[in-house]
Amino acid sequence: MTFRQLAFRNVFRNLRSYAAFLLASVFSVMVFFIYSMFIFHPLFEEEGFRVLAVRGMFIAEIVLYIFTLFFLFYSLSAFLQARTKEFGVLMHLGMSKKQLNKLVFFETMILGGLSTAAGIIFGFAFTKFFFMIGREIMQLEELPLYFSWKPFVLTIGAFASLFIIISLISVSFIRTKRVVDLLVGFWKTEEEAAYSPALSAFGLLLLGIAYFLAATVSDRTVYIMVFIVPPLATIGTYLFFTHSIHTFLQLYKKRRSIYWHKTRLVSLAEAAVKLKDSAQMFFIVTIVSTVAFLTVGTLASFTSYTAEFRQSNPLGLIYVSFEGNTLEQQQLDQLKRELEQQQLAYTLVPLEVKRQTSSASGNDVDIMSLSEFNRLAVALGHEPARLQAGEAMFLPFSQESLRELQKSYAETELVESGVELTIDQTYPQVLFPAHTLNANTIIMNNEDFSKVDEPLMGYPPGTSDFRYYAFHVPDWTETVSIGENVRYPISEAMVSGNFAGLNYYFENPGYEYRWFKSSFALLLFIGLMVAAVFFIYFKLYTGLERDRRQYQLMVRLGMTERELGKIVNRQLVPLFFLPWALALLHSAFAFISLQVVWDEFAELSILSEMAIVLGGFTLMQILYFFLIRWRYIAHLKAY
Amino acid sequence: MTVVKIDEVTKVYEGKVTHRALNQLSFEVEKGEFLAVMGPSGSGKTTLLNLISTIDSLTSGTILINGINPHSLDKEELPLFRRRQLGFVFQDFNLLQMLTVEENLVLPLTLDGMPIKEMESRVQELAERLHLQPFLHKKPNEISGGEAQRTAIGRALIHRPALILADEPTGNLDSKASKDVLELLSGLSREEGTTIIMVTHDPIAASYCDRVLFIKDGEFFNEIYGDERRQTFYQKILNVLSLLGGSVNDLSPTRLP
Repeated sequence: MTFRQLAFRNVFRNLRSYAAFLLASVFSVMVFFIYSMFIFHPLFEEEGFRVLAVRGMFIAEIVLYIFTLFFLFYSLSAFLQARTKEFGVLMHLGMSKKQLNKLVFFETMILGGLSTAAGIIFGFAFTKFFFMIGREIMQLEELPLYFSWKPFVLTIGAFASLFIIISLISVSFIRTKRVVDLLVGFWKTEEEAAYSPALSAFGLLLLGIAYFLAATVSDRTVYIMVFIVPPLATIGTYLFFTHSIHTFLQLYKKRRSIYWHKTRLVSLAEAAVKLKDSAQMFFIVTIVSTVAFLTVGTLASFTSYTAEFRQSNPLGLIYVSFEGNTLEQQQLDQLKRELEQQQLAYTLVPLEVKRQTSSASGNDVDIMSLSEFNRLAVALGHEPARLQAGEAMFLPFSQESLRELQKSYAETELVESGVELTIDQTYPQVLFPAHTLNANTIIMNNEDFSKVDEPLMGYPPGTSDFRYYAFHVPDWTETVSIGENVRYPISEAMVSGNFAGLNYYFENPGYEYRWFKSSFALLLFIGLMVAAVFFIYFKLYTGLERDRRQYQLMVRLGMTERELGKIVNRQLVPLFFLPWALALLHSAFAFISLQVVWDEFAELSILSEMAIVLGGFTLMQILYFFLIRWRYIAHLKAY
Repeated sequence: MTVVKIDEVTKVYEGKVTHRALNQLSFEVEKGEFLAVMGPSGSGKTTLLNLISTIDSLTSGTILINGINPHSLDKEELPLFRRRQLGFVFQDFNLLQMLTVEENLVLPLTLDGMPIKEMESRVQELAERLHLQPFLHKKPNEISGGEAQRTAIGRALIHRPALILADEPTGNLDSKASKDVLELLSGLSREEGTTIIMVTHDPIAASYCDRVLFIKDGEFFNEIYGDERRQTFYQKILNVLSLLGGSVNDLSPTRLP
């Protein structure tokens, strides 16, 4: 038997114990491969649309890579730890440390090769299926299967490097103090967690502060809190698992009337050991689960947002030109030309918008003329509005504002031009998306409109007015690639927050709609979470031999089956549900903050979506708990 | 009064190779008696112990402990019987590592839901008897082997069982700790009427007992009773062992005084 054969046989004859590890790696490779199939799809390369979904998936790939690195590293160390005794025997027989490293390296590479191959095969087999889902969600006409070397090379390259990294690192973790120590293996010393009451209080305090800030966030502070709350919560979580829990357990242990009661003595002490062993792991699982909850929850709210999207964005394209815009004619021509090239029917209605100060509220209002407004209303298939001289009509910017405005009435004077108005009607449809016009927008009779001839206070004559070009495009979802270069400076300015030098505004609801739709790339995080729960399995696997001996002893000392079941439950429940509960709590508070953001631009309640998402995940976790419990007990009894 | 009555006990392991581990073995143990079971490797000592401790099933014959036949109890009653009537001492102590010495001691009592006061008084009593006070709050890995074995004996005694089963209790101890543990066990049987069955290889350990039962290939071979002087009893044991024809190891010449 050559050295390589030894490594090979170690893997293949232990395939059953490696099954979970293999499964987890195959799963990661598969997801990674499917995403790279999306990324390299020729359709996305041709269309400008590529940036959206593909960029999202690219980020997801990087996250997946990093997470897989941690995850596989952790699982591999767990397996190596479980094999300490075997390594002890090998070294006892005279294997050098160098050879042992080589052995582990070979074995890891065999496992890596196997899982990469299997992952790619399964991934390729399922790609068509995911393309079908992607096509539905992104509303593409077709997303054909294609064959290219690129996704294969990316996946193989990524995972080859990943497995080399983890095998090199994990080898250095086989602590070869003395051969005797390796031979004895587990059933050795178990120290109590070193904890400090001060740090555990500090951890709880941090969590408290983070929750408080998240719950009291307002739309003004939300962008600062994004940078403050997550680090606070992360550090708080870490301290919670490394210190706070142990302080609680210690307090509990001091109360003998509770602690020295039936199976509690064993199960509590055992839970303390397991919690201490895996504090870092719990921390990672909590953070990963929180991220997964949040992305899936956000996704669910995106979906419900897209359902209402058309209602609040009835226009196909919007181009607003302010004073001093030299590109106006050129860009409008370009938009029209592009629409024609794509053979999209459209109606363009230019609207002149004047700005005045209202004496009733003291705020400035945007004003449109009745005739221009009616042209748009008719084009969109609504009833035209009717107004007498001296009358005006409110324009709602959302369903909510429509309800409010219907109740209001105002007698006002446009301060600059001295025009008096009575406003006691509201147009019953939302025509303009919320942030493209002032929240106070009215339409006036043409005669009155022409009387408004003074600019808004503080502006030179003629400079406060602007032109609003409303495109009605019946096939509005097909406009994704229209006006890309017009949109680009706007997106840039949005990111940097610097609108100086931009004399126009452009919005493409069809593009935004696609963007929301394509955010399904985030679904990847569900995969991360599935991997996260595997952690628990590996942890249990590592300690199995020790747990088995403990189990045997308990049987001998006269513990009934039912009591043993109780003890196993009490050990497993915290492993499964403690990180879970904390992640749920984190996400609940995060969603309180998210709701604030949503309120700002879509007036949408995400509570029901959140409840469904969190409830669904909890159900999954419970099922998973029973599955693992069943396997674990079966393993324990197999002595 | 007879505490343990073994009658025509036979144990056959079925499998690819059928193996008769015990063959029609019969003996009795009186209350307060300290019995050693000796025999070469593979003679069936451990099988015997497993049968008495009810974790293995009989092929034929009966075992009565305090008049009860544990092998006729059902799955629910059997653990309760073990928990209340039997105490165990093992070669490698088998203390639960995550519990302190004190917690290991009360373990059998907590399962039966005994009041805290009672548990604490029993721990006090035992700690004094076994000299465990200084390290009651230490973990098993922080104490010596002898101390760990005394803790294990304490755990076997605390619920006042009818019978204590000890499997090579001195196998992992140095000679000083062995002596302590053996004197403790024989003292318990003499002064407090505790019934003990000890399986051992070590003739010195056996010389502390009231009676030594020898088995060979699963069958009764011989038995001898102790006398006033341990020295002569030890010689007698050695004589039987040499007749028994065990391996050299069984004589453990290094322990010769």
